[in-house]
Amino acid sequence: MKNQDLNINKEYEYGFTTDIESIRAPKGLNEDTIKFISNIKKEPKWMLDWRLKAFNRLSSLKEPNWQKPKYPKINYQNLYYYSAPKSSSEKPKSLDEIDPKILETYKKLGIPLVEQQRLNGIAVDAVFDSVSVATTFKDELTKKGIIFCSISEAIQEHPDLVKKYLGSVIPLSDHYFATLNSAVFTDGSFVYIPPNTRCPMELSTYFRINASETGQFERTLIIADKGSYVSYLEGCTAPMRDENQLHAANVELIALDDAEIKYSTVQNWYPGDKNGVGGIYNFVTKRGACRGKNSKISWTQVETGSAITWKYPSCILQGDNSVGEFYSIAITNNYQKADTGTKMIHLGKNTKSKIISKGISAGNADNTYRGLVDINKKATNSRNYTQCDSLLMGNKCGAHTVPYIKNKNSTSTIEHEATTTKINEEQLYYCNQRGLDQEEAVSLIVNGFCKEVLQQLPMEFAVEAQKLVAISLEGSVG
Amino acid sequence: MLKITNLKATINEKLILKGLDLDIKPGEVHAIMGPNGSGKSTLANVLSGKNGYEIEGEISFNGMNLNDLKIEERAQKGIFLAFQYPLEIPGVNTNIFLKTSLNSVRKARGEKELDTLTFLKLIKEKAKELNIDEKFLSRQLNVGFSGGEKKKNEILQMKLLEPKLSILDETDSGLDIDALRIVADGVNSYKNKENAFLIITHYQRLLDYIKPDFIHVLSAGKIVKTGNADLGEQLEKTGYANLS
Amino acid sequence: MKQNYDFDIGKIKNLSQEEKVSRQKNLDLFYEYGFPSKQVEDWKFTDLNLILNKNFDNISNEVNFESSKEFKAIENFEHNFIFLTNGKIISTNFGHEEKSKILIEDYNQEEVKNIDPSNTLALLNSALSFGGFSLEIAKGYKFKKPLIVYNCFSQDLKNKILNNKNSIKLNEGSELTLIDYSDNNTQNNFIKNTVDTIFLNKNAVLKNVLIQNSKSNGHFYKYIKGSLEGDSNYENYILSSGLKLNKIEIEINLNKDNSSCSIYSALNLLEDQHQEIKTRINHNSPNCKSYQKIKNVLNDKSKGIYQGKIFVEKIAQKTDAYQLSKALIVSDNAEFDAKPELEIYADDVRCSHGSTSGSIDSDAVHYLMTRGISKKESVKLLINGFLNEVLEKITHNELKIFLEKILEKQINGH
Repeated sequence: MKNQDLNINKEYEYGFTTDIESIRAPKGLNEDTIKFISNIKKEPKWMLDWRLKAFNRLSSLKEPNWQKPKYPKINYQNLYYYSAPKSSSEKPKSLDEIDPKILETYKKLGIPLVEQQRLNGIAVDAVFDSVSVATTFKDELTKKGIIFCSISEAIQEHPDLVKKYLGSVIPLSDHYFATLNSAVFTDGSFVYIPPNTRCPMELSTYFRINASETGQFERTLIIADKGSYVSYLEGCTAPMRDENQLHAANVELIALDDAEIKYSTVQNWYPGDKNGVGGIYNFVTKRGACRGKNSKISWTQVETGSAITWKYPSCILQGDNSVGEFYSIAITNNYQKADTGTKMIHLGKNTKSKIISKGISAGNADNTYRGLVDINKKATNSRNYTQCDSLLMGNKCGAHTVPYIKNKNSTSTIEHEATTTKINEEQLYYCNQRGLDQEEAVSLIVNGFCKEVLQQLPMEFAVEAQKLVAISLEGSVG
Repeated sequence: MLKITNLKATINEKLILKGLDLDIKPGEVHAIMGPNGSGKSTLANVLSGKNGYEIEGEISFNGMNLNDLKIEERAQKGIFLAFQYPLEIPGVNTNIFLKTSLNSVRKARGEKELDTLTFLKLIKEKAKELNIDEKFLSRQLNVGFSGGEKKKNEILQMKLLEPKLSILDETDSGLDIDALRIVADGVNSYKNKENAFLIITHYQRLLDYIKPDFIHVLSAGKIVKTGNADLGEQLEKTGYANLS
Repeated sequence: MKQNYDFDIGKIKNLSQEEKVSRQKNLDLFYEYGFPSKQVEDWKFTDLNLILNKNFDNISNEVNFESSKEFKAIENFEHNFIFLTNGKIISTNFGHEEKSKILIEDYNQEEVKNIDPSNTLALLNSALSFGGFSLEIAKGYKFKKPLIVYNCFSQDLKNKILNNKNSIKLNEGSELTLIDYSDNNTQNNFIKNTVDTIFLNKNAVLKNVLIQNSKSNGHFYKYIKGSLEGDSNYENYILSSGLKLNKIEIEINLNKDNSSCSIYSALNLLEDQHQEIKTRINHNSPNCKSYQKIKNVLNDKSKGIYQGKIFVEKIAQKTDAYQLSKALIVSDNAEFDAKPELEIYADDVRCSHGSTSGSIDSDAVHYLMTRGISKKESVKLLINGFLNEVLEKITHNELKIFLEKILEKQINGH
């Protein structure tokens, strides 16, 4: 690409910090920290016991090291496990009581917390550092019997649902980070959709890490009861800091008979600077159980941020005729590393799964698709289709595809295809000849490459995601 | 408008254009004819600024040295190349592509960018003129288009971007007689005193529809003969073998 | 499980003191890890430790080489041969060739060095190998007829492990078709652990065919390590159905420009047979090509596995690499697992893979049945067509007919 000078790396747009007073748990990971968290949240004893059980299991688990991106050892004793804006230590009762600085932060992020902005038609739960600060549209949802609140509130108000489902998809001692989360999770969202109810609006959570030296461990639990439907979105941003920050969330989805959950993520945590300094370690466990017959869980993710992303949103297809889907775009630039994919475990009859993964690497980045498709013996007439495409931009990055495919059933079919190519020079030339500059051309072609995934996003998110794709790749072709 | 002086172009260490001169004035239609491998498409590529060529000699376009400009800058200044093999770009909607392209060019010309509604109105109008079904505009760019549809799409883009110099590279190849007439009508309706055409073709047949002011015969990287519209018919009879 | 191994370096003859020490080191290292279990990523789908524990009481490396001196050569197929019993050369015949162009001898024991410490079976091989054959073809010499390596085994191998090493070197511009032909019709459980090193110099062409000619309780592991110079070509055909356990691991290093390799396999697994093909193609240089087509038919309780990795170095621009695995699962108790992997660091490449597994097309079966063919025959016909496709690329007619026959026999269960 001669004649092109595109070395301006656009700054991370959300890299501001908000100067607010916060309450923190003492540094370090121990029983006292866990008791501190549980206590400040006024949790019932069963919750504290559950946390302590997880903490005790933790000592027998090791951090996994099989994933491709390696990271320096994390000193778990040098982290804060709880940080909350001081002004909301007593949960605000209405948006008027929220610290104006936090409202300002969300305004900068383009997230409407104020109810007047009804036009958007999205109910938002905002999580700032460790706590949920505001949930909008609550009244309207309550009328339909839909519960959408912070997990802390759900533990207080809906203990039966939480007890029944928390940890039922991701067991307490699943693996190191999931267990760590179970011990120290601070907040997150809780959704329950009652039977035969279609949630009338998109539910959305915005996560923001603000405090330094803080790990964010949120926990999300979504239950779609028989015949219900919900579409849930999450977005994430963080300030620019030189240190690496840990984000280890657990997300559990449960779909009962004939229910459908659509879960979309636009992950834009701070990726570090262009030399690879700082950025979020995004080690997330997301798993959904299609527990009922004819149920469906669909994951869509656009992963553009974080220094290291390591997550495999999965579906356990237990119910007969259940469907699992995974649509993913993972973009890595500069020194970012992503190891992401999905697991589709087929247990029920006539279960179907579909995986569409688009990986784009630029700069010195490394991008791995890792996935498992496992069709068990009893999952007769099941099908999987997988398509993994990787795009390489430049000669310093890597693209890897590591699928595990297991078929134990003679009536079931698995199809897997993968390609790795570079961005097509002829297509760039064609676009240039029509007057598009290099960045516009790259953005257009890459968005075309990702189209199948972008189409899955709800309208409001799709536009944002397209812009994000373009921004993430700025400065990558030169 | 375009003045080429002693142009030499080399690709992969092979000299293709070996000292070519050409002068095109506003309102003129020039045709370049020649056998396969004579350097016709290379000329089109070099004018558009395609990477990979080593260039010697001068190309001046409305007083600017073309060699200094990037591909998209040339496009923005009014050079349009209708490709011999228009590219398929999967996932990219034709409408979105055309709008991005038009607005890039308009921006460079200092004109106001068009909003979606105005753009759609405009593009539908232009498509109608060329007998292009609106449905094509919402499909992926050139993906699954027939040869003729792709070529019509090129002419649509030309009429949309309103270039000063339009280079048609073997636009007639792969066209049936009806499509050929539509393409030619499209060109003729756009032709005026301000703009110019450079038509690259192997055969006479397109020139039956678009009357050139000059015909140049390109052979082994040089223009070996220049004449008026009659030269084409003569070539059709005698072939290229007698020239060089 | 260490107590069950009866491994003794003293059983290997003619070793210098120095060699004994170095081999003992390899053996000690092996003891540290033992036979690999599924916790080792490369053995994720084949838990060798578990399988051996199930089928062997103890394992010993004491092998008698004197027992068998006779074998039945293949008829109606002109060829040269090397005859091995329990891995050692008994006789050779290069009647169709210029003998001065061929060097054949026992594998030089002094060259027994450890190849790869992360491969524990290679470690064990380096500790206990008693050699094998070493073959070198002179510059420019093209074999007129294929060379068959007859692998025969004595009847006293129960609970034994054979460790052998072979080396094949083709000098510049030479060509050879080498058929590794295993004939071991035995009820005895025994283990064969083989390491083949292959070196192809510029412009050399090697066709390497692996055939199992009988049903056997053998537990085989073969590690082929190939290094290719510019413009050379390695082609591998795997027709190894019939073994109780078989893992073939092929590592090809495309070290210079325009070298290429292809791996084809056609397996029809029956009963509780377990076969794994694991490949790693290292594109270390620009403009190289690799192609893999792996086909499996899984009957009864069998298990087929394909682990394939394409690795493309930063400098290996213009790489063209493809891997395809297709499996037909015929029985409800059969299983096919695949891990087709791409690891790519160069951008101007064309790399892709496809993997499908599923049932036999019931419409096709139906169609054949409407033409009066029984269901069983219809299925067999479709299996035959599915696997035979692998042999399509073979231009040498005699060889093709020969391999088609072998495959047919394997489809019929030997």
